Amino acid sequence: MKETGERDFSWICDRCKKKLEPRKVKVSYLSGNFEVELMQCPRCKAVFIGEELAEGKMLEVEKGLEDK
Amino acid sequence: MDLQKLLGSGEQCIHDEPPACAAACPIHVDVSALLNAVGAGDFQRAYRILEKKMPFPGLIGRICDHPCQFACVREKTDCALNIAELERAAVEYGYALPKKSLSVPKTLGKVAVVGGGLSGLTAAAELDKKGAQVTVYEQSPRLGGRLWDFAGSRLDPAAIAEELRVFEKRGITVHCHQKIDSDGLSALLKQFDAVYLATGTWEKELKADPQTFQVQDSLFAGGRLVTQMASVIGSVSTGKRAAVSIERFLKKVSMTAAREREGAFDTPLHFNLEDAEPEERVSCPPDGYGREAAAKEARRCLHCRCVQCVKCCSHLKSFQIAPRDYARQIGTNESVIMGAHYANKMINSCTLCGLCDEQCPYGVHLRDMVHETRKSMVEKGKMPPSAHDFALRDMQFSNSDRFFLVKSPPRFGSENGSGPEGRPARYLFYPGCQLSASAPESVEASYRYLLSHIKEGVGLMLGCCGAPADWAGRQDLMRENVERLKSAWETMGRPTFILACSSCGQVFQNYLPEISIVSLWEVMDRYGLPDCAARGAGHTLSIHDACTSRYNEPLQSGIRRIVRKLGYEIDELNYSREKTKCCGYGGLVYYANREQAEAFIKDRIGESGNDLLVYCAMCKDLFVSGGKRTYHILDLIFAEDREQAGSRRMPNLSQRQKNRAELKRRLLRELWGEELDAERKDENSLGLVIPPEVRESMEKRYILLEDVEQVISHAQKTGERFFNPESACYSASLRIGDVTYWVRYREGDGDIQVAGVYSHRMEIVRE
Repeated sequence: MKETGERDFSWICDRCKKKLEPRKVKVSYLSGNFEVELMQCPRCKAVFIGEELAEGKMLEVEKGLEDK
Repeated sequence: MDLQKLLGSGEQCIHDEPPACAAACPIHVDVSALLNAVGAGDFQRAYRILEKKMPFPGLIGRICDHPCQFACVREKTDCALNIAELERAAVEYGYALPKKSLSVPKTLGKVAVVGGGLSGLTAAAELDKKGAQVTVYEQSPRLGGRLWDFAGSRLDPAAIAEELRVFEKRGITVHCHQKIDSDGLSALLKQFDAVYLATGTWEKELKADPQTFQVQDSLFAGGRLVTQMASVIGSVSTGKRAAVSIERFLKKVSMTAAREREGAFDTPLHFNLEDAEPEERVSCPPDGYGREAAAKEARRCLHCRCVQCVKCCSHLKSFQIAPRDYARQIGTNESVIMGAHYANKMINSCTLCGLCDEQCPYGVHLRDMVHETRKSMVEKGKMPPSAHDFALRDMQFSNSDRFFLVKSPPRFGSENGSGPEGRPARYLFYPGCQLSASAPESVEASYRYLLSHIKEGVGLMLGCCGAPADWAGRQDLMRENVERLKSAWETMGRPTFILACSSCGQVFQNYLPEISIVSLWEVMDRYGLPDCAARGAGHTLSIHDACTSRYNEPLQSGIRRIVRKLGYEIDELNYSREKTKCCGYGGLVYYANREQAEAFIKDRIGESGNDLLVYCAMCKDLFVSGGKRTYHILDLIFAEDREQAGSRRMPNLSQRQKNRAELKRRLLRELWGEELDAERKDENSLGLVIPPEVRESMEKRYILLEDVEQVISHAQKTGERFFNPESACYSASLRIGDVTYWVRYREGDGDIQVAGVYSHRMEIVRE
């Protein structure tokens, strides 16, 4: 699953001053565990999640898991 | 309560029971659907509906003796539907040649049908379809029996001949001029696997089982020979039913299983005629209705179905479901182990208002069913966390130090106080959490009123009764709330609670019956209204009773007396008092399914052109949000600008919490002279600038100003944030409870401009 939008590429980690890179990241909710490609700081590993993803696909998956 | 037992009560629901007409029809033609089609002018569809149940509809449809019409409930309002003539119209204008049915391999066995009249022909045609090898014996020169009695009047002889040619086409062997007597019958019984005797009369008395039409072993009998009645449709029915029996006999399966409702029966459907407008029957000329007259007459059909609960519930209407199916869907949802729980959303979209139960003539308890199901879902860990999360956190806020308070009356029992030394105050005012959030000034004014009018002393308690926990099925949190209330009651010397919220009242009644309660309205009715109360001067209001006080008649009457004392006229709503509707907030539907809540709001405010009068803070807020001028009873009593009060929109979610916190602080300062120490900064200390569209999305996403502040403070403290050089925006997040909040913002000169706020529940797994 690839969840990095075009606009996400312009973000940098403010602390490390590093450009974010798409990386496989583990996410979990209730009974679900997934590996998703998200924008991450290559140094401190902080993960960025944009509004479109959070309120779109992610919300949809959350609702699906809630009804499992 | 036992959920399984409750679900079982769903079977009492009569929503799916047939109307009286279809039940009275011995072959159960779907008369309602037939008339619906005729009403729409679709005669072809009407004919197909007839054809589903009726053999030779082109003939029987014209001569049926229509017991359905005698059962029509419209007879009680004006005049029964002219079903006979409408059936005839369906045949007249919608006739189509029978579809070529696939020929079934003739493996069922050999069956002889003696008698080519209505019952015999029906049985022969049915058995042929079922795969029997059928031979018909008819003593006269032609098939048809009594059909020929109608030739030249209601039936065209050519049409009879044409319809009966079907036997020839299907390859059914027919022997005319062949009279069968007892000896002949004995021979047939040896020669065939089963014999159906439908000769109208027989040389000696025959006893056939009234349900299966079996005489003995492979001999069956039906038609007038058994019923002794001339009914055309009765004879057809016996033929159909005998065919079923013969099939079962030949297949060696149970002859009687699941046949309870064959033939005419009394429907358990209770159809309420209160909404039926009288409408005269369209007169029918001797040669039958024309198309338009038929459609007009058909539209008089009431399409009887019990919709007592569905018709007044926005939830049941939205999900197009009645209690029987509802209970079954809950049952399925409850038993799912792997896979989706499709009914979750439905279960969380019921307001638990109980109008369905009040309306049900058969004692189905849908409200309790849904409530118990929610508890069960919580226990099993199957309740979607997002459904009630915000409401529960809001409840937690109200029971935290920020709002919770229990106090004896100010200066009570002291030298300056009005109460007797050493005796506890007799009352405790508990205004509830939502009134304090929506109209804190009304709470303050009410408390001041109580202090000045009641000499036995009135203490004050602020907090939330736990209704959100109850609605969310959270028994664990409910127990905590009940304990908190009980302990305050004990500490304060067991006072009577004065309540200003109907939901609190319901919680006290259900969970704390030992505590005596009275509504603020009854107190005001008894002690007299404050002098400042506005006068209505002939203005007419419709009262919307709170659903949580459905059965509290003294409270409802108290409200009405106050409204009249204030000089208003009352125009009662159709659904009021014990039949009141929910505003859409009940059961936390407002949080779990906002669209559903909006449907409730729209439905209720559409009921009256008058301004509404309510006595629950949430009812007011929701109706105003739907654009309806609505007064809370306290608006009429205390508001300085009444006009404005009726359209005042509800404060946003953050403001609601702030209002509660400020109410507590203000009352403590002004009435008890106490300042809250360690005062929390409720003011916007970060200098956040939030544009209206972002505020709106925060409301929809249940994100508080406080959450935004926490995210930004955390980012500023730790430096953990992202920066976008293109837009000069920062983006920061923080996990608070089970939710990760994100804020996108720009830093300006001394302020912070918020550009976006959102959240998710999914968590990043740190490795």
